Amino acid sequence: MNDKIRELVENCKSRISDLSNMAAAELQKIKSESLGKNSELTNLLKSMRDIPAEERPRFGQMVNEARKLIEEAFADAERKMKEKTLRDKLEKERVDITLPCDNAVQGRGHLHPITLVADEIMDIFKGLGFEVLEGPEIETDYYCFEALNIPKNHPARDMQDTFYITDNILLRTHTSPNQVRVMEKKQPPIKMLCPGKVYRSDDDASHSPMFHQIEGLVVDKHITLCDLQGTLEAFAQALFDEKTKTRFRPSFFPFTEPSVEVDLTCSNCGGKGCKLCKGTGWIEVLGAGMVHPKVLENCGISSEKYTGYAFGMGLERIAMIKYGIPNIKLFFENDARFLKQFR
Amino acid sequence: MKALLSWLKDFVDIDIDVNTLCDKLVSIGFEVEDVEYRGKNIENVVTGKILKIEKHPDADKLVVCDIDVGDETLQIVTGANNIKEGDVVPVAKHGARLPDGTVIKKGKLRGVESNGMLCSGEELGVTEDDYPGASVYGILILDAATPLGMDIKPVLGLDDYVLDIGVTSNRPDCQSILGIAREVAVALGKKVKIPEFSYTSDSSDDIGNYVSADVQAPDLCPVYLMGAVKNVKIAPSPLWMRRRLRAVGLRGISNMVDITNYILWELGQPMHAFDYKDIRDKSIIVRRAKDGETIIPLDNKTYTLDNDVLVIADKERAVGLAGIMGGSNSGIKDDTTMVVFEAAKFSRENIRKNSRKLGIRSDSSARFEKGVNSFTTRLALKRAMQLSQQMGCGVCVGGMIDITSETAHADTIAFRFSKIKRLLGISVPKAKVIAILDTLGIHAKAEDGMLVCDVPEYRDDLERDCDIIEEIIRVYGYDHIKPTLLENASITHGGRTKEKIYVDKAKNILVGLGCDEIITYGFFGKSSVDKLGVSADDEMYRLIRIKNPLGEEVSCMRSTLIPGMLNTLSLNQSRANRAACLFEFGKVFKPMSIPLEDLPYENERLCVGFYGGGNFFRLKGIITALLGEFGCDLEVKRSDRPYLHPGVSADIVVDGEVVGCFGAVHPNAAEKYQLTEETFIADIDFDRLSAHFNETVKFKAIPKFPAVERDLSVVVDESVPVGELIAAAKQNIPVLEEVSLFDIYQGNQVEKGKKSVSLSFRFRSESKTLTDDEIEKHMKKILGALQHGFDAKLR
Repeated sequence: MNDKIRELVENCKSRISDLSNMAAAELQKIKSESLGKNSELTNLLKSMRDIPAEERPRFGQMVNEARKLIEEAFADAERKMKEKTLRDKLEKERVDITLPCDNAVQGRGHLHPITLVADEIMDIFKGLGFEVLEGPEIETDYYCFEALNIPKNHPARDMQDTFYITDNILLRTHTSPNQVRVMEKKQPPIKMLCPGKVYRSDDDASHSPMFHQIEGLVVDKHITLCDLQGTLEAFAQALFDEKTKTRFRPSFFPFTEPSVEVDLTCSNCGGKGCKLCKGTGWIEVLGAGMVHPKVLENCGISSEKYTGYAFGMGLERIAMIKYGIPNIKLFFENDARFLKQFR
Repeated sequence: MKALLSWLKDFVDIDIDVNTLCDKLVSIGFEVEDVEYRGKNIENVVTGKILKIEKHPDADKLVVCDIDVGDETLQIVTGANNIKEGDVVPVAKHGARLPDGTVIKKGKLRGVESNGMLCSGEELGVTEDDYPGASVYGILILDAATPLGMDIKPVLGLDDYVLDIGVTSNRPDCQSILGIAREVAVALGKKVKIPEFSYTSDSSDDIGNYVSADVQAPDLCPVYLMGAVKNVKIAPSPLWMRRRLRAVGLRGISNMVDITNYILWELGQPMHAFDYKDIRDKSIIVRRAKDGETIIPLDNKTYTLDNDVLVIADKERAVGLAGIMGGSNSGIKDDTTMVVFEAAKFSRENIRKNSRKLGIRSDSSARFEKGVNSFTTRLALKRAMQLSQQMGCGVCVGGMIDITSETAHADTIAFRFSKIKRLLGISVPKAKVIAILDTLGIHAKAEDGMLVCDVPEYRDDLERDCDIIEEIIRVYGYDHIKPTLLENASITHGGRTKEKIYVDKAKNILVGLGCDEIITYGFFGKSSVDKLGVSADDEMYRLIRIKNPLGEEVSCMRSTLIPGMLNTLSLNQSRANRAACLFEFGKVFKPMSIPLEDLPYENERLCVGFYGGGNFFRLKGIITALLGEFGCDLEVKRSDRPYLHPGVSADIVVDGEVVGCFGAVHPNAAEKYQLTEETFIADIDFDRLSAHFNETVKFKAIPKFPAVERDLSVVVDESVPVGELIAAAKQNIPVLEEVSLFDIYQGNQVEKGKKSVSLSFRFRSESKTLTDDEIEKHMKKILGALQHGFDAKLR
């Protein structure tokens, strides 16, 4: 009896040992022949009643073990069959990669709205003699904070929720570290613009943990707060319309002194007051100020000889105002129906 | 910072309406985030006296009252049973509105007319801190002397405004009512009134008789003051104090505790009140904790400390975490009879560091982190003693403990007056400068072209010339600034770096080829790489981890752009967008070492992906066109990237270097990314690719002589790549201008396992018209090469 069961198992296994010329359907057929209602194994189980009662448990156990072995063999074979089917499919689909290209163009694509806005801003400032210089997204604590007059354990660090990689390496929370990198390498006159991705650990309806900023810096002799306002007004008029006005409100950034928030007359209502500007006629768009002398000194630039201004803004915010985009999350979802709207 | 208008008025005369006040605060740099009228939700509720109470004719539990509301008498039905004739109560008249939104209307209750409602404290949204008896179940019984017919809001102390003011981190001195009042005074051009806070003490007694203090870590505690109050009776604080605390969101606890909370708000100085009997051996020691020392502060959790943490201790044990949290055993209790107040200045860096390290944030630590100044610390202790006396809490003991190690820092800032114009670009008249600085409490003199400023103690933020100039302009007004466009600056030439020019150009080419640009997050989860099926030692697994990520799926800096692209394509497929052809330019991050010691290499890469239109050869077309515009030729070889279909993918080879790959997404990766449509992607190392860019453009003369075309069909083994046939055909024939494929045939006419390839050849010489003989010779050579190299048969 024992032998018969063993033979049964071996027989099954041998039938499915070579899958190379077997179709998937055939494997299924063999499986049902081996394990199905009319299989020898099932018949064996049915014959249990002819066996003396005391032998039945042992017999039952043997048949069940055999069933398990056969099932395992089929599971293995089915897995191999699946791999083989995929392999065959991949082989069948193989193309001659050296064939010529299909050059049909299916309509024109679109730049991302963030790129469009960044490009427009860079064009405006390039005309004023600004150079576009980008910096790394992963930064050291020194460039992101210390050199910008934000010492360790200073409450100003709470202004920005920072992602850390190590105690000393982090994701930049603003594009300002690149000011320092540029000033370290170059003496004035400096007119630079730094666009790029920045990261803050903030994720809710109106915040995205990654967003874009563009930063401007001018360091030279005779740079004044009047120049800052003149530059930003020229910029705002180029970006929105020639009637746009700027307004400074006192604020605080550790790396500029004086520091200001810059409001623009609302591009939607022209300053009359609407939903976008919450009835005030003004929208807050930029942070800016005169470069803190400590920052200049940290970079080896004489604060006695030179003054400078810096400004920074969020590109998502600009794009949202310009195009009327209601939600920051749309920028990073990249639904084709969103992307195709901007030109 | 929440500031109650009436509280501000203790320190400065405010004679303008609240909205004008807010505008003025904004103009000097204090954003008013919210203005709340405390009684905004109560309308048409007045005080009334119950003249008569009668049983309701048809309801046992109701009574009918006649109420005198000043100008009339109202009949009101109520179910309350805590009222009696003569009581003065709040009456919601017809049309009244209550904080929960209820609008009261007159009507009939069981047939009896009722012209309003009597209100409970709860219905008016007030607590015991607003009015005694407010928590009683039933009608709020007002003081019998309350005038009748009066609006209820002033009675309950709700006729007041709470201003929520944004205070920037350089102005810790404004985290207090007094600090805001100073700025209000500046905005209104008035003087701030700082009371003396004077009190009388029992001069026959001295604090030294009760307690001594020893500051062993003066670096972390530059100022430590103590004052004592004896014969203390713990009781609730007076209504005016409880109302103010409640208005700013605090709860009244008991007189001595409320005093410390009140001062924290009013002056911005955290204080601690010790129960004297819990100070063992009458001594307080301010010291660094011993490494491993444990403490159980008020929150009843055990903390293990180190040498960097400052504790307040007696001889035996630490009783509190200095500036962070008091001890569980030394606080004020109902049976406290003597209180010792502590007012101290602790190092803000140290408090900040340790409160984060221990994970304890308290009102006190939050305040110390921002920074306190010794001027206020002194003022606060006086205020605590004065309030204790004023409120009749006990008897002030003579003397105080004052352990000050801080030397007053140089508070004079001097600079050339001309610097103002140099920085601002406008002149501010001298007298105006002096006057502005005066309203700020800065005593300034202009002499010999210099401006010399004496800065008040509480303005730690004023360190140098630019700080003073900012103060001048923020008060003078930014509307005085006249826009100029860099009139005196050097001429510079603007522009972009070469890297940026390349990326911008490539983006425009891709847009022209029908691709939309996407931007995805710079981080992803490790599972994004798992789903690609790459081996464990693949470079993509060298991940830079964020220590404090927002979630596992955004915890690593991306090592490849492919997951962002596949997720985006998958999203578009799931939203039933019929087709998408996308590209992304972005950095991937390659660490030199893990854990990171230096900044990683930020590798600029390009990823292209599409579905719903086109196949492998469309993608090949896009890449060929892109490379071509930069003067590069695409060579392909089969790719073994595991996320690409092995038969429908290729590595991108430029000048012999592999710079990327492209092809159909492997079915396994497609399944894991839930891609339901056949999807194609390309991944290119743009930094490597751009090293091969050839920017030199040299004009080539337009050919003068005609071209001759010939076709050729050969049968070869189906495995022979057509590209190789073309390459072989091109060899060594300078006049062969172009070879192109025009047909491939497999079927009945061709032997199984073979294919017929039809090529078209275009010949042209730069110097003459080619003859038929010459062409024939070349065609023979070509055929020979194909026969020799690929066993090709002419068809």
